[in-house]
Amino acid sequence: MSQTLSEKPIVPAVVTETATGERKGLTKKEIAADHPTWCPGCGDFSVLALYFKLIEKRKLWHEKITTISGIGCSSRFPYFVQAHGAHFIHGRALPFASGVSLSRPDLHVFAFSGDGDAFSIGGNHFTHTARKNIKMTLVVMDNQVYGLTKKQTSPTSPLGFKSKTDIWGAVDYPINPAKQAISVGASFVARTSATNPNHVLAMMEAAMDHDGFSFVHCLSECVEFYDGAFDAANPRKGGVFNEVPKTHDVTDEFAAYKLASADFPGNFGVLYKVNKPTKNAREAEINASFQSKFTGQKDWQILQKTFDRMK
Amino acid sequence: MSEDLIIGIAGSGGDGVISAGESLLTAAALEGYHCVMTKSFGSQIRGGEASCRLRLATQPVLNPNGPLDVAVALNWDDFKKFGAELPVESATIVIYESNTGVAPDKLPLQGVKPAVVFSVPITAMAAEHAGTDKAKNIVIAGLLAGWFGIGRESMLAGIRKKFAKKGTTIVEGNVRAFQAGLDFTVANPLKEDRKLSAPQSGGQTKLLTDGNDMCAAAAIFAGCTFFGGYPITPSTEIMQFLDREIWKYGGTVLQAEDEIAGVGAVVGASFAGKKSMTATSGPGMSLKTEILGLASLAELPLVCVNVMRGGPSTGMPTKAEQSDLFQAAFSAHGDCLRPVLAPTSVADIFGVTVEAFNLAEYYQTPVIVLSDQEIAQRKETVDPIDTSKFQIIERRRPTGQELVNYTRFKITESGISPISHPGMVGGNYLCAGIEHNEQGRPTASGEMHARMNEKRFNKFNPLKNRRDLFTIEGDPEAPIGMVSWGSVAGVAQEALRLAQAEGLQVKLLVPRLLYPVAETVYQDFFASVQRGLFIEQSYQAQLYRLVRMYVDFPAVVKPFAKSGSNPILPSEVLDRLREMVVAIQSSQQQPEAVEN
Repeated sequence: MSQTLSEKPIVPAVVTETATGERKGLTKKEIAADHPTWCPGCGDFSVLALYFKLIEKRKLWHEKITTISGIGCSSRFPYFVQAHGAHFIHGRALPFASGVSLSRPDLHVFAFSGDGDAFSIGGNHFTHTARKNIKMTLVVMDNQVYGLTKKQTSPTSPLGFKSKTDIWGAVDYPINPAKQAISVGASFVARTSATNPNHVLAMMEAAMDHDGFSFVHCLSECVEFYDGAFDAANPRKGGVFNEVPKTHDVTDEFAAYKLASADFPGNFGVLYKVNKPTKNAREAEINASFQSKFTGQKDWQILQKTFDRMK
Repeated sequence: MSEDLIIGIAGSGGDGVISAGESLLTAAALEGYHCVMTKSFGSQIRGGEASCRLRLATQPVLNPNGPLDVAVALNWDDFKKFGAELPVESATIVIYESNTGVAPDKLPLQGVKPAVVFSVPITAMAAEHAGTDKAKNIVIAGLLAGWFGIGRESMLAGIRKKFAKKGTTIVEGNVRAFQAGLDFTVANPLKEDRKLSAPQSGGQTKLLTDGNDMCAAAAIFAGCTFFGGYPITPSTEIMQFLDREIWKYGGTVLQAEDEIAGVGAVVGASFAGKKSMTATSGPGMSLKTEILGLASLAELPLVCVNVMRGGPSTGMPTKAEQSDLFQAAFSAHGDCLRPVLAPTSVADIFGVTVEAFNLAEYYQTPVIVLSDQEIAQRKETVDPIDTSKFQIIERRRPTGQELVNYTRFKITESGISPISHPGMVGGNYLCAGIEHNEQGRPTASGEMHARMNEKRFNKFNPLKNRRDLFTIEGDPEAPIGMVSWGSVAGVAQEALRLAQAEGLQVKLLVPRLLYPVAETVYQDFFASVQRGLFIEQSYQAQLYRLVRMYVDFPAVVKPFAKSGSNPILPSEVLDRLREMVVAIQSSQQQPEAVEN
């Protein structure tokens, strides 16, 4: 019979310890990989830098996390991180991440995506991964345009947006990601903007600490194809960065939905956070209850009983 | 007496056709007969036409095909919808429901006049003795038990057990209905004794199971702890079986939002270090294609079972066909090679599935198992599985030494590189669909792309020499050679037995490995062959054409292929073999022009 896969790390290859024997957090040098290939001025640089900061600050070791993405400008993310990572298929980061999360409760799964990847080609997966409350953190860098293919309309492009596929201006109503996330059952929904680094870090950290599907909607400007898209949310460009009111009850779904519905730039911060059992936790219970019935039995003995029932 | 009995029963959905077949099957299996039962339906969800074919024999049963020895029709409209699936000949004993109003000499069977016909008031007997016409299936079981001597005692015990919870009134009603069936056969005996001879085996209790359950059990045995999939006929039972069982082994079943997400999660779990599997059928296979391509490039192990049904498109979801071989071999963009295996029976799918996991793990590749609707959903007696016969292979993981400056896609002599998984300190790498260098970093270098393609193709070279994935039966020097695969292989095996009984020199090659094409195995097989025949259930004869892409064999090797749901009969194959003998004899007398 097969051996159960050992979850314990095999001989550590590059572990640094302090004099007291306590393991050091990773340094930026140990986290950063290739230099990002994004265009100068891209908002995604900020998100990447803050992900590094999160890893440093919270002493997340390589063997405890995975960094997963789909396809798109933002989804190049894992290339720039030294990590157990995956650059998967367009729109399918969440199914891959679900496979990792559900089979490896010892890991924290970070998924990075863009507006096309998460809400257009991967829209179905966004809905169902949120609904199932599979434990992971999804950060969507939303630039409201397809950048990698050089300026086509995205599902979050506003009405009237002129692109190479909407030369007279977009006629399709855009998706509101936060509203959608709340309505399909995400248990943590936050909004932030790449132009406010401290806020991005705080949101990613809160998302990571949430036990469930946590979604961070991060405005991240494409200076090449949609310059100035988020000026209204940037005080340095004459806009306003309104945080979620202190009086807001994050467990109130209707209040959260109302906040998420506000006209752009709306409110930034945690809109919704509710604790409910994750799919991971429920399945761990099912595993435990089944396995308690077979304590001390080898896998082949359990299988033999199944064969006996076929007679 | 009979050694081999083929029974076909047809009616409409609520007639209890399948449960009559199942009672008979269970009783016969308990008594030690070798049994196969296939079910066939219209594609309606409820109601519509339903039929089953049972083949009960004293010797191992190789396939469920052949003309019926016994036909049971609850109504003729539904019976006729099955056409060639339930072939009636003049020697067939026909039993039908009298309330159809059809006279015994006016049966609606084109040009066939069965010699023995019984018109039986099945519904009336059920109503009279059990108080409900729901007991029709029990009356049928009684008739068949009486005329053909199958499982009288086991059947009575079965009835008592099945209805025990419903109270004595119902139990006794069903026992009376069964007895009424028996009494009818005493009052109307067969002139010729067609009772099945006593079973030869006995002793060891056989398993009675279907291909989907057996495939799922094999996955568990092989160490599969993650399944992701989406319900699709006729593969759904694989997911259902695992959802009942996998938790005991610490595993998980993910019913995904779609076929793509199912295989996406499987690739994720494989990346995370788990043995994982998905199962689907034709349309789902089409959807999974892109992700399977990534798994080939990223060299991640996984098993994908495609339970073939009639296609293209929605096609015939409830019927078997072998027309997804091209798709299994070639449906990926770019240069891509992944192994394709096919089981031949319910018993065979266990070993083939275990082998699929072993190949996936060893070669770090997706492996496709081509089952089909017939194997998946037919019930068959299977000897208890001796699990000690099977070896389990795990993927080659890096050693501590190899985790220092870990090189995920290191070009090695075998083409196989140690694969890490999250949690291994130092084992970081980026798993991606973009072409990579040895470290796993993206590359657009033509030279590197060529080297990686070479690595990904050459690693499979040893697989093409796995002769244990092929069986050859018959005289090795025979001038006539047959090749057949999947559920049709059993038909070819029976044809081989029939041919040998006539003294014909014939041999049969049955591959479990369909792709990559094992060139030398075919070359060696065809060395002695003057006439050859590929027997397949697809319009295009896909294996015949696939093998011809790689192997030159004599032009006198031809396909004998039919579209799905048109049974290939052993007797038809035998006719072809006889023609080939004649052709060889005449060509020896005067050399013929070689066809091209």
